Amino acid sequence: MHHRHIDRFAQGDSPVHRLDARAKLIAVIAYSVILISFNRYAVVELVPLAVLPLAMLWFGGVPTWFALRRVLFLSPFILFVCILSPWYDRAPEVVSFGPWRCEIAGGWLTSADIAVKFTLGVLALTALTSTTRFPLLLEAMRRFGVPKMLLLELGFLYRYLFVLIDEAMRARRARDFRGAALAPVGRRLSAVGSIIASLFVRTLERSERIYMAMAARGYVGEWHGLNVLHFRPRDGAFLAGALLYLLLCRFPWLVHP
Amino acid sequence: MVVLAMHMGNELLSIPMAVVTLVLAALLIAAAALAARKTLHPERLPLMGVMGAFVFAGQMINFTLPGMPGTSGHLGGGVLLAIILGPSAAIVTITAILVVQCLLFQDGGLLALGTNILNMGVVPCLLGWSLYRLLLGRAERAKSWRQYLATWMACVVGVTGGAALVPIEASLSGVLQVPMVKFLAVMVAVHLVIGFFEGLITFVVVAYLRQIRPAVLGLPSADAGGGKLSRGAVTASLLVTAVLLAGVITWFSSGSPDGLEWSYREHRYASGAKALGEPSHAVSAVNAWQAKWSLLPDYTKRSAPLGQTPAEANGAEGAPAEGGTSVAKAWTSLAGTLGTVVTLAILYLAAVLLRRRGRIVPEH
Repeated sequence: MHHRHIDRFAQGDSPVHRLDARAKLIAVIAYSVILISFNRYAVVELVPLAVLPLAMLWFGGVPTWFALRRVLFLSPFILFVCILSPWYDRAPEVVSFGPWRCEIAGGWLTSADIAVKFTLGVLALTALTSTTRFPLLLEAMRRFGVPKMLLLELGFLYRYLFVLIDEAMRARRARDFRGAALAPVGRRLSAVGSIIASLFVRTLERSERIYMAMAARGYVGEWHGLNVLHFRPRDGAFLAGALLYLLLCRFPWLVHP
Repeated sequence: MVVLAMHMGNELLSIPMAVVTLVLAALLIAAAALAARKTLHPERLPLMGVMGAFVFAGQMINFTLPGMPGTSGHLGGGVLLAIILGPSAAIVTITAILVVQCLLFQDGGLLALGTNILNMGVVPCLLGWSLYRLLLGRAERAKSWRQYLATWMACVVGVTGGAALVPIEASLSGVLQVPMVKFLAVMVAVHLVIGFFEGLITFVVVAYLRQIRPAVLGLPSADAGGGKLSRGAVTASLLVTAVLLAGVITWFSSGSPDGLEWSYREHRYASGAKALGEPSHAVSAVNAWQAKWSLLPDYTKRSAPLGQTPAEANGAEGAPAEGGTSVAKAWTSLAGTLGTVVTLAILYLAAVLLRRRGRIVPEH
C-alpha cells in the first residue's frame, strides 16, 4: 500500500508547476482574502472568481474531478452549517438573474454564498498544492519568515506522513483480517489502543534512528535543502496578472463605471 | 466522528476575525516554539515532526462505534500529544499537523489557520494538559482509576472547549445567521460524545505505554498493576457524559435564544459611479461602435436592437428605457456569469491544446 498518490500531481511538470512557489502562495492568499471580503449575500458576484483556480488546475494538468472530489469529501460540515441558515434568516430578498426574478429568504442566499465560497476556496488550495511540491512551499514559507522550528517539524511530518500511514494501514488490515469486527466492544477498543500505542513506540524508535542519522551527517541545528527558488519575470507577470484579476473581480466598477 | 470534523473554513470568517486570530496564533506559536526549544533535548527534535505524522497514521486506525452502524470513531490525538510531549511541543506539533491538513488535504482554509490553531491546538493542549496534571497528582504513584479519570477529563474538556470556540468565532465574524447559542449547543453536544471516545482511546494508549514504555510518561519503571480498564470506570464516564449531554440540550433548548437578533442587513455595494475625463476622438468612436454592436453593453441588457444605440432607438420608437436598479443589476450578474463561462471555455480549450503536446504528470 502506497499513499504517495495523495500528493501525486505535485510531482508533475507544467507551466504552472514551474512558477515560483512564492508567487503562487501569495496569489492564493490574496485570493482567499478577496473571497471572504464579499458580503454574505454575494453569490453571482463570486462566479468570475472561478477562473483563477480552474485555469491553474487545467494548465497544471490536474484533472478537475480530482479537485471536485476533494470538495465533496470535505463538504459535510459545511453542508450542515448551510442547512441551518435558511431557518434563521427569513428576511425576504429579491433575487434577479438576467430575465428571471424571484423572492426567497435571505438565509438561502447565505447558504449558497457559504457553499460557493467553500468550493472556490478548496479549489484554490488544491490548485496551489497539486501544482507545487511541498518542500518548495516550505522554502517559500521560510523566505516569508515562518519560524525555523515549525518548518523543521513540517518537513519531518511530510517526509514520514506517507511512511507511517502505510504502516498504520498494514496494521489495520491485519486487524480486520483477524475478524476484529466480530469482537465485543471492549476487546475492539483495547485492540485499537494497543495498535496505536505500538505504532507510537515504533514511531518513537524511528525518530531516535532519524536523529542519529542526522547527527552522523553533521546536523548542527541548521537545515540545508536543495530547493532553491528563483523569482523570474514570468513569476512576476503571473503574480501581477493574478492580483489585477482579483482586484477587478472585487471592484468591477473600476473597468466600467 | 469522522464526518463532523470541526475545521473552521475561510468562508465562515470575516477578515478582521481572521487577522486577529492569525496574529494571536502566530504569537502563541512563537512562544511555544521558544519554550519547546528550551525544554526539548535536540535529540527529540525529529520526534515532534514524526509524532505529527503518527497522529495522521493513528487516525487511520478506526473503531466502529457500538450501536451506530456506519459511523466510526478515531483518535484526534491532540490531548495525547500534550500528555506525552508537554504543552509547548504539542502546540508546535499540532500546528504542523493543521498546516499539512490545510495544504495537502485542503481541510480548513488558509486564513482560518489562526482559528483552527487556537481551537484544536492551543486550547485543547493547554486545557487538557493542565487538567491532566491537576487530576493525576504525582505520576509515579497514580492509581489506574486516577489515570483514567485524568485522561478522560482532559480529553472531554479539551476537545469540547476548543469546539465551543467555533460558534463564537463564527458569530463574531457575522457571516453565519444561525443564532450563536443554538450552534454552540450543537457543537458542545457533538463534541461531548467525540470527547468521550477520544478519552477512552487515549486512555487505552496511555495505559499500554505505562506497561511497555513507562519512561515516555515520566515513570521510573514498568508497573504491572496499572493500566487495566475497569468496566465500572467506563460505565461511570458514560453516565457522566450522558448527564452532561442531557444538561446541555435541555439548558439550551429551554433558554429561548430568539431574543438575539442576527438579521442585520449589510449594505450592498454602493454603485460606484465615477466621473472620467472626456474621451478622445478615437475612443469615443470605438465606444459608439461598441454601443451599437455589443450583445450586453455595459454588462446589462440591450435596450435597443442590434445596430442602433439606445438614444437612436429611443428617438425612433420613443420607448421608455427599462428602469430599476435591480433589473440592471440582474443583467450585470447574467453578463458576468456568461463572461466567466466563456472565459473558462477558452481557457479549458487552451489547456487541452497545450496538454496534447506532452503528458504533464508522469505515469507510474
